[in-house]
Order: sequence, then structure tokens, then C-alpha cells
Amino acid sequence: MMADRRRINGPPGGTRPAVFASNLQSGTSATDRAQRQRQPSELRKIFLKTGLIPTASGSSYLEFEPSASLAAARANPKSLIPPSSALKLACTVHGPKPLPRSAAFSPNLVLTTHIKYAPFAARQRKGHIRDASERDLGVHLETALRGAIIAERWPKSGLDITITILEAEDDRWWGSAPDSHDASWGMMNVLAGCITAASAAIADAHIDCLDLVAGGVAALVSDDSASTSTVAPKLMLDTDPAEHRSILSACVVAYMPARDEITELWLKGDSSKASLEDGDDRTGHEALIDGAVDAARGAHAVLAEAVRESLLKTVGQA
Amino acid sequence: MSNQRQASSASQVPHLSPAELSYLYSSLSLPKTPIRPDGRSPTQFRPLTAETNILPGTNGSARIGFADGTQAIVGVKAEVEKTVLANETLARNDGGAGLDRGEQEGSAAVGGHGSWVQMSIEIPGFRDDDALPVFLSEMMRESLVGAVGTREASDMAGGLKERLVINKRWHWRLYIDVLLLSQPLAYPLPLLSLTTHLALLSTKLPKRKSQGEEDPFFDDDWAVAEYLYPRPSLSSGKTNSTGSSFVRPPVTLLVISVGENIIFDPNREEIAVADAVLAISITRDSEAGTLKLLSIRTVDPPSRLTQPGVPNSENVSMLGAVAPTEDVAVLNPATGEEEVPGVWRPRRGGVKRSVIAEMVKTALKKGGVGEEVLEGLEGVEVS
Amino acid sequence: MGIIILPPVVEDILPRHDESDDSMSVDSDEDVEMSGVRAPKRARIGNQTVSTGVVTPGEVVTDDPQWMRGHGTYMTPLSTSIIATVAGTVHKTNKLLSVHPLRARYTPEIGDLVVGRIVEVQSKRWKVDVAAPLLAQLPLSAINLPGGILRRRTSSDELQIRTFFSEGDLVVAEVQSVHQDGSASLHTRSLKYGKLRNGVFLAVTGTGGSGASSSTTKGGVGAGSLRPGAGSGMGGVVRSRRQVWTVSTHNGGGEVDVILGVNGYIWISKHADGASAASSTTDHVSITRMEEMVSTSIYSSQNDEIPPQTRREIARLAQCIQVLVQGGIRVDEETVMGAYEASLQVDLEVGDDEDEDEETRHEGREYLEGAKSRRILELVVQQVK
Repeated sequence: MMADRRRINGPPGGTRPAVFASNLQSGTSATDRAQRQRQPSELRKIFLKTGLIPTASGSSYLEFEPSASLAAARANPKSLIPPSSALKLACTVHGPKPLPRSAAFSPNLVLTTHIKYAPFAARQRKGHIRDASERDLGVHLETALRGAIIAERWPKSGLDITITILEAEDDRWWGSAPDSHDASWGMMNVLAGCITAASAAIADAHIDCLDLVAGGVAALVSDDSASTSTVAPKLMLDTDPAEHRSILSACVVAYMPARDEITELWLKGDSSKASLEDGDDRTGHEALIDGAVDAARGAHAVLAEAVRESLLKTVGQA
Repeated sequence: MSNQRQASSASQVPHLSPAELSYLYSSLSLPKTPIRPDGRSPTQFRPLTAETNILPGTNGSARIGFADGTQAIVGVKAEVEKTVLANETLARNDGGAGLDRGEQEGSAAVGGHGSWVQMSIEIPGFRDDDALPVFLSEMMRESLVGAVGTREASDMAGGLKERLVINKRWHWRLYIDVLLLSQPLAYPLPLLSLTTHLALLSTKLPKRKSQGEEDPFFDDDWAVAEYLYPRPSLSSGKTNSTGSSFVRPPVTLLVISVGENIIFDPNREEIAVADAVLAISITRDSEAGTLKLLSIRTVDPPSRLTQPGVPNSENVSMLGAVAPTEDVAVLNPATGEEEVPGVWRPRRGGVKRSVIAEMVKTALKKGGVGEEVLEGLEGVEVS
Repeated sequence: MGIIILPPVVEDILPRHDESDDSMSVDSDEDVEMSGVRAPKRARIGNQTVSTGVVTPGEVVTDDPQWMRGHGTYMTPLSTSIIATVAGTVHKTNKLLSVHPLRARYTPEIGDLVVGRIVEVQSKRWKVDVAAPLLAQLPLSAINLPGGILRRRTSSDELQIRTFFSEGDLVVAEVQSVHQDGSASLHTRSLKYGKLRNGVFLAVTGTGGSGASSSTTKGGVGAGSLRPGAGSGMGGVVRSRRQVWTVSTHNGGGEVDVILGVNGYIWISKHADGASAASSTTDHVSITRMEEMVSTSIYSSQNDEIPPQTRREIARLAQCIQVLVQGGIRVDEETVMGAYEASLQVDLEVGDDEDEDEETRHEGREYLEGAKSRRILELVVQQVK
């Protein structure tokens, strides 16, 4: 286990606000679970803007549209606890800057990535020290970006990419039992957002890259109640884990449309029981990857537009 | 070692000269018949020595060693722990009249939780919070706990976490400690994964004497302890059919693609020139008897960070020595980029979907690499 | 067969009786007093063999004042006894007594041919890894600069130092001098030396390079030294008359060069004929410009076209050397060639057995391990004897 060796930490976890029984009643019945109101292949809207942080050489801010149920709950609160959360994150790029003197010679741009959840990002408070899942995300992001940037254009220099997650996706609906689908599905959405945001920030910092690399998520979900569990799971794009009873398998890709290449792939869960349309002879994981690629194509459209927008603005000012 | 540390990525960049990289790449990408530096066939693993139950203080343990001297030891320890139910679950059980309340309660008891499995990897020369050990342990833990089982057969099928439930209030906590005994000579994933698999196969938990929701107490006779992963009875003999009907822990294979070839269990030099590196976790599907996929992760190919070679026509120190028309760039079909033959170019970009599909197919197909590995591991004597 | 999983082997830890004679046989007849000293000590440990020629650190080698102290030993000021500081075999040169470790790291000596890897580029020199405790240095002034015969280096050479050798590049060089601290200074001022390409690199562990040659190779091949684990140069490259030679390989592989660096680094590559290499780059080479042509290709990092047959034979040679090292046999021209011939012979034998099934025969049949490697070792030992 990792702990800060330099200071005495407070108790792990956090305190919860008082929850009153009258509110709880209405919030816990399973019918209050947020329902997906989008089509299976419909993505959430993305807000993406570059160049918000003046001191960094490149930066971007990304936000996913809150789900319809969240918007409804805010307008007309039935419970104190919001039914789902939406992703919000900020990315800064520093560099290219010279490597420290002690570092070995590198013919390529040396990339370092840091992903940090803000302590208030998730329902459970996160500590200030990066934990294993944050480091893991950092490795994923680095893999995704390294395939996209042209590293030999910037020899002997380093590039720092820092992402702060202000609001993270939930891994499940807060009212579900903590083990109902306990894998960290929300992390995959976070990674897809990180990839898209980092790609925008890199473009904003004017680092050479092959293509704008965008992240996308697809998942196999089974929403039916237990009595009809024979129904095979369906493929959905850009899933919000809070809206689904059970996610069987999910996949996130970092995808470059111009080259039709995947620089990062992370797939987990059992994808063997996917129900695809007739005549579709793809295996479950192939369908999942294709779905994630489609989602990434959607994100790429936003990404390209955001980068173009900020460019036009600078051109207009000059 | 400083250059290994400096590369924060999960993969290490070995120091190889551009000429070596070019030679390796062109050997490995020869159509149909790649020539590996050690003469193996593309799907052949390095031979290894394995033994289980080497540590008397653990519930299960294993050791695997390669011929080059790298060894890994895995010890599995289990502890009984009180299950902490989340507030929400408790509250719901007390009051409220949800329709599917009973069902949810049941799932809470049977489901198990991923955090009950704790995995730590110790690699000499790396801090425990360096990228490589963290990445590796997440990768292996994910497939271990992630194997979602079907609800009906929650008793035996499914992932590891469901097996750790004792009753509603108690569960086993499993500590899997992986120790690599020397600085890794290659990307250590296959070694660690195979060793963990063997250690889990040999893991035994004491036989429970209590029943139902009682506080658990156990038979202290170790001889009657039960395997965490039930083994085929010795009398029936180890045949294929019995072996496949039992749930087995997953195994993670390291697969690389070079040109059009797909190569398993790459060594350090081979991984340095790979176009794409995938870690594919597979396990046996208890119902169908075939293999199923549990997870895929891309590993950052070190080839992206290598030193480029200089074609003779651009080499300043050879100016005037070569006719300028000598080097004709040729399109490399695998990368879609123009390359001068014999000159190393660091890999750029990603991997095509068709290549990923092919890699997974090779690992999963009947009689393919995955089955051979699982069968080989099954054959290891568990004492 | 995709994967082979073997049960662990319990190594035979019984002392080898026959070896004791081999390693000390040259000396033993004139060594009465010395073995007399060591004998009781050995017996006390419970080891039945007397005077194996192997000493451990702290063990008194002799207390006869007639001997002079050499490498691997020390003397306390107040006594005349010579005490070993390393575990190894006792060697005597006239009245000089030294202990050679069984497994030593490489200590550079002037004139050694070494293969090294550039690890650092400085403003006027390179730092080279030669498997020695310290990095060797290769000054810019010690290489052949391109563009003709020996000329003085200029500041422009310093600026483009990376175009000659860069990080990761492999060079073959000669040790020019050894400094006080044991680090070496290299030079490549010969057409034989320079950047390596068209082949594979192999690092042999457990190199017994240092000094071990004096007894095993200078006096011809000692029969005993071929036995696994015997002799002082245990499984490594030893200094010998020829470190570089050309193999004309079978199976249509053409000619292959082998460079055995004394430091245990080995390079196996397609044979680069000086004249043909030059003529491949330009059509007409006058004999006077020949040297210039060859010297320019020293700094190339572009591989020539190498046919698959050659690559296969290069891989086979590399494996043969691995087999030799794992079997604890020293690596030199004789043993490598022996192992190569043996591997061909083993292939024929195996081929006869399984000829009926074409599929399995090709699957990984080029991989030398297990039974194949044992057979090769047997054959090598026979042949070289």
C-alpha cells in the first residue's frame, strides 16, 4: 500500500453529509435509477475549449453533457443526492522544454503524464497522493498520446501533460449495492475524456502530431431485470455507468481517424455474449472495439472543431 | 538503470543500435516465416521450470524460472474478514418496499467485491509506485476479479471474487504477492502471469465447519482443505474433458505484431521492434469449454522511443561516398510509411483494427496458443 | 508444441572428483608443500577431496615465504602466509602465486579486441560500455575521420560527433591504453574496427576473460578445460589467437562474420567484404580510393540486404554460442565451429526421426534447447578432444 511518507494523514475516506430518511425513501427504490434516454449509438454532447490557461503552453477544458435525468433532477429535486455525475476535466501542457541535465540523451520528445482526481471529484473523497488507479490512467494516457505525437521533431526535450479531473463519472448508480458491478467502469469514460482533452491541449501547444487522437467508449450492457436475464446484452456507445443496471464489458480506444489506427485499447469484461444484429458475424470484442471507434469518431468531430475554433479566434485577433 | 527509470512508461527501452533494430525488424517481419533471434517459432514459448507449493507459510505458492535465470515467486495468503456492507444496502434492507429488494440483497451476499483481492508486485530496481509495477498489477488483478460469472451458477462459476464469499457477513481476503527475483531481462508480464496462475491453482482454503450465517469456523486439518479452484479428482485422470469443465484462473499473454507476423512470448529484443504490443487475458469458459477473452490492454511499444537510423544518402560522414539515387524509399505495408530498406525508423501511430482482431483470434482459437498454455499449466503437478 | 514446462531439476552438488586432477595437474607434482597446507583445512569442512585447487576467500593458500603474492590474494604484514581474497583456482607463474576467480568481470588489457556499446556522447569523446566495472572512453581523436586518410580533427567534427557514433551504437574497437583506475581507452584506427551493422548482438555472461587465457589457451587446448565447469575460463570468451573469423555457413547462408569481443560481447553478422561493400555503393572504385570507400561505410547505420537463409544461419550461430555458455564451455573459434557443425548434425538426426510429419518438423525446429542442446554439447566435447 502506498502512503505519504512525509506527513500524518487524516482518517481515510471522508465523512458523509447527513441523509434524512424522508429523502432516502424516495431515492432508493430502483425505479429512481436514471434511465438512458439516448439511442444506443447516440453520444453525449461534449463541451471542449482550448487555451484557457494562459501560463501553460497548451491547455483545454472538457465537459460532458449531464445526462437527461441529472438535468431533470436538478430542476426538480426529489433527492438530495444527484442521480449521476458528468465528467469535467482540465488539461495543461507544459513544454517542449529542455530535459534536466541529469537525464540521459533522448532523440525523441520525452512525454510525462499526470492524471489527478481532485479530492472532491468523486463521491468518495480522493486523497492528495496519486493512488494506483490514477497512475494506471496515466500510463494508459501516455500510451495513447505517444502513438500520435511525432516525437523525433523535438529531440532532447520534455513535455509534461497534467490533467485534473474536477468531476468524475460514477462507477455505478450510487443507490446500487457497491458490488453490483464493481469494476471501475467510470474510469474508462474518464480515460476517454482525458485522451480527447489532452489531444486538444497538445494541438493548442503546437506540438507536431500525426492526427488528433480522440477517445471513445462502448459497452455491453444488460438493463433488464433479473427475471428476463436471458435477453442478451446490447452494445451501447458512450455509456454512463449510472444509467445501467449491469455492464458486462466495456472498451475504450484512442483512435486516429486519418490513419484508421488505434493507439490505445483497453477492453475488459466478458464480451462473448453480445447480441448483434443478424448477419453480423463479428465476435463480441470486435463489435465492442468497432463501437468504441465509432464513439471516438464522434469525439474527433468535436475535437477538430474546437481546435479550429481557437485557431480562428487567434487569427481574428491578429 | 537510470534510463529505465527515466522512461516513465510501462515499457522499458533497451539500448539497441539502429542497425540492430533494423536487422531484428526485417528478420521478424519476413512474410509467413519470421526468424526469431533464438530460433523459436512465432507461437513458441521459452521453456520454463515450474513448481508449486514451495512456501509452507502460504495458502498457495508457485515458482517459475526461465532458462536465462529470471525467476518469479508468488505467494497467496488468505485471511477471514468481516464484510462491511455499504450504508445504502443496509438502509434498504431495514425499510423500504422495493420490488427487487430481495434480489439485490442476494446479489450483495453472493457477489463479492473486487477489493477483496489485493495484489502487489515487487520488481527489483523499481519502486512500488513506479509505473511498471502499478500497471502490471492492475492489469493482472483486473482479469482475475473481472471474470464475471453467470448468476445462475454463482456457486462455482465466475470470477475469483465470488468464491471468496463465506456468508453474508464474512469473506476471505486474498493477498497475492508477486516477487521477481532479479532485474527483468524482458517485459516480465508472461512470467508473472503464469506464476500467479499456478499459485492460485495450488491455493487451498481450510474446510469450513460452520454453516449458513454462523460466524465461520474451520477445520484445522490442512489435509482436508479445499482448493480455491477445484481440481479434477486424481482417480479420474487428467483428460481434456474433465480439465475443461473446471473454472481456471485467467492467464495473460503478451503478444506483439511485427509487420504481418504475430509473435507470442517476445523477448526483450523482439519487443523493442514491435509495431504493437498487446496484453491479452484469457480464461476457459466453463460452459462452452472454449476460451474466452477477459481483457485486452495495449502496452506502449518501446519501438516508438528508439533512435532512428540514418540512410547512407543522408549521412553527413559519408557525404559523396554514395550515389544519391541509391536509396529508394519503399512503402512499408504494415505501417503505411515510406522507409528506406535497412534503415530503422521508430514506429509511429497505432495499430489497425484488423491486426488486433487477428492477434486475439490467434490467442483464442481452438488448439491455439491459449489452450496450449492452459493445458501446459494444468499439467504441472500440484502437490 | 507451444510451451514446454519442466519440473525443477535438483542440481548435482557432489564434488567432481575427476576435475581435481585436471586443473592442478600441471602444478601438482611440484606442489607438495602447498597441498600439504591446504589438506587439513579441506578435511575439516568435511570435503573428502584434497587439494582441488579451489580456494575460498580468507583461506590460507600457503605460508611458505618463498611465494610471491599475485592477483586475488593478500598478506598480513606480520605473517608470511598468502591468503586468498576471491574464490577461484590457484595459479602459479614461476614463484608468483595468484588466484583466478571462476567467474570474473572483464578487466581491460592493452590490445584486447572488444565489442562495446556507446552509452554517452560527450563533447570530444564517447563513453562505451565494455562490460568492465568502469565505462571505457573512445576519444574523437582515436577514430578514423571520414574524408580520406588520417587527418586532424576539426571543430566541425566535434559538432557532428553524433553522426559518427550515437547512443546505443555498437562498435568494435581495440583497447589502446588502460588508466590507473582500470578504465580503458579505445581506438578504432583500423579498417577492421568501427560501427557494427548487418547482424545480431549477443552478451555472454560469466565471462572469464581476465587472465584466464594464460593457462588454457597459450599452452594449447587443455583437455580438462573443456569439461563443463572445469578449468578457469568457465563458459565465456577467452583471449585467443583469433577473435574474428568468417564462417562459410551451410543451407545457403553464405559467409558470416563472427566477432568475439574479449569482454564477452559478441557480434555475428553477414560477411562484409571490403571490396564488395565498396562496389555496392559506387560502380567504379579505383584501387587508390579503395581505403577511402571502405572507411566511409564505417559510420553507416543502414543494413545491407540480407537473405533469409543468412539470417537463419546467423540465428543458429547465436544459439550455438548460447548453448556453449549454458553448458559452461569456453567460447572460442574452435568450440563455436564445433557447436555449429554439431547443431547441423543434430538437425539431421532429428530430421530422420520425424520425417513423416512435415508440419511438426518445421514448428520451432530451429530452436536449440533441451535434448538438442545436450546432444550438441556432447558432440562438441568429443570433437574438440
